[in-house]
Amino acid sequence: MSTRPGEQGRRDEAGPVKTRLNALLVAGLVVLLAGLVAYRSGYFNQIAITTMIFVILAASLNLITGTAGLLSLGHGAFFGVGAYAAALLSTKLGWPFWLTLPAAGAIAALVGAVVAVPTMRLTSIYFAVATLGIGEMIYVTLLNWVGVTRGPMGIRSIPGMEIFGLQGMVFNMAVTATLMLVALWLVHRLTHSYYGNSLRALREDDACADAMGIDVGRLKLQSFGMACCLAGVAGGLFAHTTGYISPESFRFGESILILSMIVVGGLGSIYGSIIGAVLLSVLPELLRDLGSYRMIAVGVVLFLSILFLPRGLVGEVSAIDLIRRQVKRDPNARRSAW
Amino acid sequence: MTATPPPLLSLRQITRRFGGLTAVDSVSAEIDRGELVGLIGPNGAGKTTLFNLISGVTPPSSGEVAFEGRTLTGLRPFEVARLGVARTFQNLRIFPNMTVFDNVSVGAIRDCGLSDALFERSSARGRDISDVSTEMLAKVGLADLADELAANLSYGKRKMLEIARALAGRPKLLILDEPAAGLNDTETIALAQFIENLRAEGLTVLLVEHDMGLVMRVCSRVIVLAFGRKIADADPATVRQDPAVLDAYLGTGDA
Repeated sequence: MSTRPGEQGRRDEAGPVKTRLNALLVAGLVVLLAGLVAYRSGYFNQIAITTMIFVILAASLNLITGTAGLLSLGHGAFFGVGAYAAALLSTKLGWPFWLTLPAAGAIAALVGAVVAVPTMRLTSIYFAVATLGIGEMIYVTLLNWVGVTRGPMGIRSIPGMEIFGLQGMVFNMAVTATLMLVALWLVHRLTHSYYGNSLRALREDDACADAMGIDVGRLKLQSFGMACCLAGVAGGLFAHTTGYISPESFRFGESILILSMIVVGGLGSIYGSIIGAVLLSVLPELLRDLGSYRMIAVGVVLFLSILFLPRGLVGEVSAIDLIRRQVKRDPNARRSAW
Repeated sequence: MTATPPPLLSLRQITRRFGGLTAVDSVSAEIDRGELVGLIGPNGAGKTTLFNLISGVTPPSSGEVAFEGRTLTGLRPFEVARLGVARTFQNLRIFPNMTVFDNVSVGAIRDCGLSDALFERSSARGRDISDVSTEMLAKVGLADLADELAANLSYGKRKMLEIARALAGRPKLLILDEPAAGLNDTETIALAQFIENLRAEGLTVLLVEHDMGLVMRVCSRVIVLAFGRKIADADPATVRQDPAVLDAYLGTGDA
């Protein structure tokens, strides 16, 4: 038997081959970023940073949706909470970057946990609809709470990242890349562990997981809070690297874009999150000549992927299967067993 | 003389009503450590409801369930499971998109905190879960299939996987819900042997069965339910000749 203690016998376990592959990927990332820096194109650098931010968003959404089976349609809103938290703390209160970023994560996690408490008891598709509503509520708040968020005008002149006098595009890139790797490591540990197995059990059959001694409610809340925290950190990075944010960046469409990334890349897979995020961040940029029609490409890729690659590129469950089970399971019970 | 310890499981006048229907009607029973007890009854007798009352899925309308002298009233299913009551499901509920090994590990995880996830390689809990899962897989004869997806197993093997998952929690009481349903004769005989071995190792087992055959063969005591009431509670030979039981199973002549 190939199952070794601490490795869970997972098909994609972190054996020596995977470790070498990961080292190679990190080296490739460093070379690519160094190349972009040498090329001195602000445009390419910004795309690289945005892509890395989307990798964090996709990986965090994949933790709750792909692994724990909680279909969230409001992840973009928690990204927005983090972005606004960082922007407001730095422009209004003058907090330094090294404080605003963790604060963005903490505030997003807090908002996530507060809205999660009532919705966590909803199972399956009802939960998805609730997150859709929460996302819209957050968007409407950002849009209409003009006194604080400046509404549709957005927040300008957000200070860039700065720690000990270090700043600039290269620094932005290094910080974003580092935090992305930390986020990926975190999600990897949370999923490639017995903790991850208990999250998978929620996805597969939460009432059964309950009967097996898993505290379903606590796990849902915990994983949702952590995913929101990572989305908030991504929001903070976004605010400090672009210097300008407005509610439009955190609408429903953004949540769907992140969801499309993990469906195309593969639900429940970290490599899937990375591939999906890179593909759907870079593709619209390549098609910039098409104007706003370029977003159709995202839809086409999603459609083709569901049609021909039901599990995405490297996923562990098929998206259709996940949705179908969510709709079908417990037609009478709208609430989970706990 | 020390006081005798309370029985492992006791049902005290337990009743469950659903609207106007009384599914379980003031049933009292006790199960002692090391017993292999069968729970039988015709369709609609209340077996599944009684099962759900014990495992915490449904709260009783009145009466109480006590485990090791401690009431289970108000506890959620996961808390009942953590006290040492493990169960399997009548209609298989394995986790299809997880490997066989991962399926079994879920039964052992219990309360796996975040620190265990982040530093699992060095955590004793991680090793313990791994060890017990490996041991239980070997016990049910699925060790070779540890890395296979559970969805790819045959029906009989899935049944054994469910039992391994229940055993991975190192339960004090194992409740099997119709384990023989859907198994062929050879598989049923193997299952009977397996259950007898579990008892020989000291595990207390409650076997809920629709079919009398397996129960009569392996159980030391049989509880019979009909229309929500307990109509018999004795050794298999006595139960087999009880007129009330024959009545319930065969009808009173006008059925």
